[in-house]
Amino acid sequence: MAATFLAFGAAVQEAGLSPGWALLACWGIYGMPGQLVLVQAATIGWPGGVGAAVMGAVAVNARFLPMAVSLTPVLAARERSRLLPAVPFIAVTPWAAAMRALPAVDRPARLTWFLGFGLTSWVVAGSASLTGFHVAGLLGTEARAALLFVNPLYYALLLAADLDRPAPRRAVLCGAAATSLALVLPASMALLAAGIAGGTAAFLLGRRHGAR
Amino acid sequence: MAPADLALALTALACLGLRLAGVWLAGGLTAEHPAIAWATAVAQATLAAFVTLAIVAPGGALAEVPLAARLAGLGAGIAACLAMRKRMLPALLAGLAVMLAIRALI
Repeated sequence: MAATFLAFGAAVQEAGLSPGWALLACWGIYGMPGQLVLVQAATIGWPGGVGAAVMGAVAVNARFLPMAVSLTPVLAARERSRLLPAVPFIAVTPWAAAMRALPAVDRPARLTWFLGFGLTSWVVAGSASLTGFHVAGLLGTEARAALLFVNPLYYALLLAADLDRPAPRRAVLCGAAATSLALVLPASMALLAAGIAGGTAAFLLGRRHGAR
Repeated sequence: MAPADLALALTALACLGLRLAGVWLAGGLTAEHPAIAWATAVAQATLAAFVTLAIVAPGGALAEVPLAARLAGLGAGIAACLAMRKRMLPALLAGLAVMLAIRALI
């Protein structure tokens, strides 16, 4: 996780944004794919305006919804309102750790466990981003290129590792195929259109497959 | 407000809304509900589209790395990932090393 935030800091520096922006993006969005969509849009000058970039960033982080749905019963809070402090920490790393570890933790201690893990992850993410931001300016061309390649490659590997499961495989292949929409649509809409078209096609294929 | 700050504020609010909606819906919906399955598929497809665009047609300094080097790094990373039982860090390092090697050769 730290490597991806380190690379994010470098990408923010490359886009000409401030270290404060990098830190607030880590803590406010706390979902690397969405953060990267915004940085990429800033790098190429916000084609299509802020709205298209925001919609792309939200779509790529739409997994927060199913994550929260599956995590809430595991946290086992007596009242839903007690979960509010935990809400900003619902993201890939704390969610995966919690789903793995919490079933073995006493129910009254689960929320505290999640808050501690989430807060630690936040601090690591923010520190790594600031380090990446400041280190990027000191690097040579090769090391800088490698750092900027970390996030696209890392997420490509995560997607490739999911290809042995049918539902993610359909979504990944349909999403990659729908990227060809970028050839016919304005750059500002390409990502969002590819995500919605590819995701909807994968969802419908899955339902058709499941109905047989 | 600068575009980057506005985009950050709107995205952060929308992401908070997604998380809150998930907590609120939990209990009423299961993770297998069609609406949840659709949101998951859209998120994965958007990520796949983002990765494809970021590797095939990146902006900024990464665009100065030849396409062949980016694709070779991707191929090497995926091959290493599958060969090493999905261990991410060695696969990532293998992909970066191959990308830099091909970049130096071209």
